[in-house]
Amino acid sequence: MIRLENIGKRYQRSDVLQRIDWRIADSAFVLVTGRSGGGKTTLLSIMGGLTRPDEGRVLIDDVDIWRLSEPELAALRNRKLGFVFQFPSLIPTLRVLDNVLLPIAFGGRSPNREDREFAGSLLAMVGIADKEKAYPSQLSGGQQRRAAIARALINRPSIILADEPTGDLDESTEAEIMSLFQNINRQGVTIVMVTHALDYAALGTACLLKNQQLFPYPAGPSPESAAGEESRHGE
Amino acid sequence: MRQVFYLVRKNLRRKPFRSWLMIGCMALACATLFLAAVLSRGIQDTLQTSRERFGADIVVVPAEARDEALSVLISGDPTTFYMPSSLEAKVRQTPGVGRTSAQVFLRSLDAACCVVQVALVGYDPERDFTIAPWVLRKTGGPQRDNQIIVGAKVISAVVGSPEKAIGQRLIFMGKPFTVATILEPTGLGTDYTVFLTLNVAYRLTWESPLYPVPVNKDEISAIMVRVEDGEDPAAVAGSIEAKNPEVAALTANLLTRFFSRELRTLVEILFLAGGVFSFLALALTGSLFALSVRQRLREIGLFRAMGARRKVVFQLIVLEAVCIAGAGGLLGVLAGFCAAYFSRDRITEMIGNMYIWPGGQSLFAVALLILLAALAAGILGGLYPACRVSGLDPYEAIRKGE
Ligand SMILES: Nc1ncnc2c1ncn2[C@@H]1O[C@H](COP(=O)(O)OP(=O)(O)OP(=O)(O)O)[C@@H](O)[C@H]1O
Ligand SMILES: [Mg+2]
Repeated sequence: MIRLENIGKRYQRSDVLQRIDWRIADSAFVLVTGRSGGGKTTLLSIMGGLTRPDEGRVLIDDVDIWRLSEPELAALRNRKLGFVFQFPSLIPTLRVLDNVLLPIAFGGRSPNREDREFAGSLLAMVGIADKEKAYPSQLSGGQQRRAAIARALINRPSIILADEPTGDLDESTEAEIMSLFQNINRQGVTIVMVTHALDYAALGTACLLKNQQLFPYPAGPSPESAAGEESRHGE
Repeated sequence: MRQVFYLVRKNLRRKPFRSWLMIGCMALACATLFLAAVLSRGIQDTLQTSRERFGADIVVVPAEARDEALSVLISGDPTTFYMPSSLEAKVRQTPGVGRTSAQVFLRSLDAACCVVQVALVGYDPERDFTIAPWVLRKTGGPQRDNQIIVGAKVISAVVGSPEKAIGQRLIFMGKPFTVATILEPTGLGTDYTVFLTLNVAYRLTWESPLYPVPVNKDEISAIMVRVEDGEDPAAVAGSIEAKNPEVAALTANLLTRFFSRELRTLVEILFLAGGVFSFLALALTGSLFALSVRQRLREIGLFRAMGARRKVVFQLIVLEAVCIAGAGGLLGVLAGFCAAYFSRDRITEMIGNMYIWPGGQSLFAVALLILLAALAAGILGGLYPACRVSGLDPYEAIRKGE
């Protein structure tokens, strides 16, 4: 379980996140949306131990991650979390398979044959089994994204934090990747995904990040309906 | 650690031109420093050896003949100058002086025997301590009046091997002499000197119709001095000069002067160039490296997000810098060695044949020193970007890398 308690974050005195409380149950599929620059990536980074909140606590399985030591936090990122970034994030000097295996190396051991086989099966699952030996530059944007998803899964994390994983992809690829995440979620992995593709809101619970706060989406119980805001966003 | 090394290797191959540029800069600096160090080391070695070969700790000559005297001692240029022989006793009384022995330099005529001009020197076989160590082969008994001892280069050019010179008959100032023995090459003036006994030398100037101005028995040209054990030659020379203002007391230190000015300029230029290159190389490599790290900020942030510890990122960067510096150092030392090896003869020629190349051990020590310095520079150069980058939040690194 992930719990955010009273999370606040500001950059140069302007608040990006304010007093956010949030619980994400195990094996949940959560989508976060909101306007560009609204702080979605910041929120994900705070949850994932990539940047420290100015206020509040993040508890993952009841561990306050921002009170861990640096090596402990690194180990947590390595074992429990998998990131899929908003931008292409494969290491250009490494072949796809080696990219996928990289988190194992950072976990402090050399990848063995089993790891390689698992990496191969992950690549098959994301649909690019034939690209093992290719370099990232030889892959399309969608294929790179798939490889990044495979990499996020290599250490069998319990949580995937995905930041606009379909941001710059065409609709059919988007649909394929969304169903990929759905499959991953069915295997019990918690997924927190930032996305603008709200057609998929039905996959799980959706939230809207607005005015530095989180609201249920579409309309929630709160008096200020999120829907009105969202329509303005669409203009 | 193996994984870190693997990533470093991959990264160095990413931009081979840049990697080689950095390595090349380091190599150039190291090569120049290596050459400069080897040459100056050689000069030191040569000086050391020359001092040993010089025989005397101090040579006392007339004050006004200071410069000429040096040229006799160093290169065997025939010149003459005289002072009263009574000075030898005075010099011997100076505290710190151990042994003394007088020599008289004769004006040598173009000797028919020899290709090169030679210096004729009368010495005292009984008291001399300067040439005995260089006698190639002892001949039985004391030196007879018609015998001479010749320097290594006096006649070897004529008869071929020095060994063959022994027993040869040579005519000096109309008088026949036999070569009693020959001296080992010293690289100094003795190589071009013919040694007669003192008595014969004086007599020659009186008897030979060819000799312009006879030399009196109470005149000598130089007093060779050996200081007592533990005494400092320079200090003793100082007190000799203080007590006897009419003389100059030369120490082996003055030999330094006789390294050709070009050589010293060359070494100075090399050191200067080495210094400038090192500075430029460090500045260029350092900034290129910092740039390459900055360009990889996002990647480094990603590594951290995937669970790389701060320490690992730190190692990654420092190791990369060390690899570049180490490769540069190694290549530079090798290049410097090759340059020294292949220009060896030209350099020796330029410096004069008394130059002694440093032995393998010194070369190895210099190479090691420079390599260590390069590695240290690598560590230092890597430390700064490594500290900066590994201190960032992964998220900050990722954002800054955009
Ligand atoms: N390190 C930082 N320094 C200063 N401002 C920052 C920093 N990180 C984020 N911001 C600002 O915080 C705000 C939120 O940024 P964030 O990247 O979280 O937005 P986002 O919701 O992910 O946007 P997008 O949908 O475009 O990805 C933005 O206005 C951004 O400029
Ligand atoms: Mg974002």
